[in-house]
Amino acid sequence: MSTVALGWVGILILAAAWQILAILLHKSVFPTFVAAIAAAYHIVTGPALRTDILPSVERTAVGFLISSLLGVGVGMLVGHYRAVQQWTATVIDFLRSLPTPLLVPVAIVVFGLNGKMVVATIISAAIWPVLINTANGTAEIEPTMMDTANVFGLRGRKLFLKVILPAASPQIFAGLRIALSVSLAIMVVAEILGGSSGIGYYISNAQQSFDIVGSYGGVIVLGLLGWVFDTLFLAFERRLLSWQRGTVGGFIDG
Amino acid sequence: MVEPVLSVRNLQVSLRSRDGSVNQITKDVSLDLMPHEFVSIVGPSGSGKTTLLRSAAGLRPPSGGQVLFEGTPVTDVPKGLSIVFQEYNKSLFPWLSVGKNVAVGARELPVDEKNQKVSEALAHVGLKGFENRYPWELSGGMQQRAALARAMVSDPSILLMDEPFASVDALTRNHLEDVVLALWSESKFAVLLVTHDVGEAIYLSDRVLVLSARPSTVLAEVKIDLERPRNQIGTRSQARFAELHAEVLERVEAAGRLAVGIDGHVD
Ligand SMILES: Nc1ncnc2c1ncn2[C@@H]1O[C@H](COP(=O)(O)OP(=O)(O)OP(=O)(O)O)[C@@H](O)[C@H]1O
Ligand SMILES: [Mg+2]
Repeated sequence: MSTVALGWVGILILAAAWQILAILLHKSVFPTFVAAIAAAYHIVTGPALRTDILPSVERTAVGFLISSLLGVGVGMLVGHYRAVQQWTATVIDFLRSLPTPLLVPVAIVVFGLNGKMVVATIISAAIWPVLINTANGTAEIEPTMMDTANVFGLRGRKLFLKVILPAASPQIFAGLRIALSVSLAIMVVAEILGGSSGIGYYISNAQQSFDIVGSYGGVIVLGLLGWVFDTLFLAFERRLLSWQRGTVGGFIDG
Repeated sequence: MVEPVLSVRNLQVSLRSRDGSVNQITKDVSLDLMPHEFVSIVGPSGSGKTTLLRSAAGLRPPSGGQVLFEGTPVTDVPKGLSIVFQEYNKSLFPWLSVGKNVAVGARELPVDEKNQKVSEALAHVGLKGFENRYPWELSGGMQQRAALARAMVSDPSILLMDEPFASVDALTRNHLEDVVLALWSESKFAVLLVTHDVGEAIYLSDRVLVLSARPSTVLAEVKIDLERPRNQIGTRSQARFAELHAEVLERVEAAGRLAVGIDGHVD
């Protein structure tokens, strides 16, 4: 059986276990799988799609993209120039160790209870895995490769775009993937702590109005969002890193 | 009078190691490379051959002395200078196909001329039809030939090579030597080759320079008066080849013994 098929079997078993356990326990805080799925279906087909789901998707995507661009850009500079690395090391260590939830009140003061606040909070957390991975990936490029770039006249912008970026891309992608899941998680946290819309706001709102099934539905929708984001990301990564040994169509030696 | 294409004058390079101590790598190295000359450098491991080549290429500024390329002081990698490194797997860009890797060497040319040149260069090293392969799909010898094509595609006046054949098996090595000899005799570039293999140095070169152990100087210069064109079996079985081999080897071993005397070990 293929891995995809096995994956579905796993999901089915989990769903069945949930369903049976919920029926046996028969507690209002633990709705059945079918009820939770129905609530999730209700969310994605109802008005919440436009008022909550799409705004959350947009915030996550925008926050992730800005983190990626900034993180890769600054990370390459930090990794390539020793002086930049020395000047920024302490600042970066300090900033990245700030616990993100503490930044939410600050972001609320600066931006208000809105999407911008959520995006800003996402960036404050998601930029670090990209920046650190990019800087490490850049610093670890083989000296021979940098010599080669130099000999063949690849300098300045060309050096960064045509040599450093691809050479560090395996590590950059590892950082991006972490940043993507951080973006989703922080999106929810920020919306729960200070949102006026979004999937996080929906879940905490449902909880506070004792709509237990609704909040489970929200969590399932959130899980699906995470899965969709990750799947899209992996497809993108596979395309861009197709040059890596063993991943190019079927030609694997040794 | 003919001017040397590359001139290294009293080159001195000191490198700072991690613990902050400064090591003198080359003490006083001078050499002239004439147009279309083939010169090899042999010397003990760690004697600063790679360092010398990097300074000659403008990749590392010397601490003392001077490097002149066609009469002008080298401050940056000069146009007209190309390099083949030992580690082809770290020198070819793995995200580019073989054709695109070679095209990196011909960056300056207009597109159609560039394609033409790339095909010619690949054909020259026997890699016709491998344009669209990735480097890792090729054997080590083929990858080094691709690196050679990339270095040659811009018609340089100097080719520097740092132990280019050290990572391939003996048969492939002989073949690659002949590929380089053929390219060299059909073109006008000069070669400065670093190698550990005394036989290889003699087989290919007009002159062989023996470097001392670190901090290095040029210990000896041996003129190779074997006739050209050369071929692996004929040239290497000549009595003169054996004499030259013994002479160079003796100098290299003397340099190695000196190294033991200074450092207490051979690295
Ligand atoms: N960046 C550096 N900083 C400090 N020391 C260095 C640096 N690069 C090389 N060295 C030292 O300089 C010495 C000469 O190195 P180099 O690579 O030039 O020797 P080599 O003759 O090419 O050796 P091999 O035959 O092993 O290739 C070595 O002892 C090495 O440890
Ligand atoms: Mg070396």
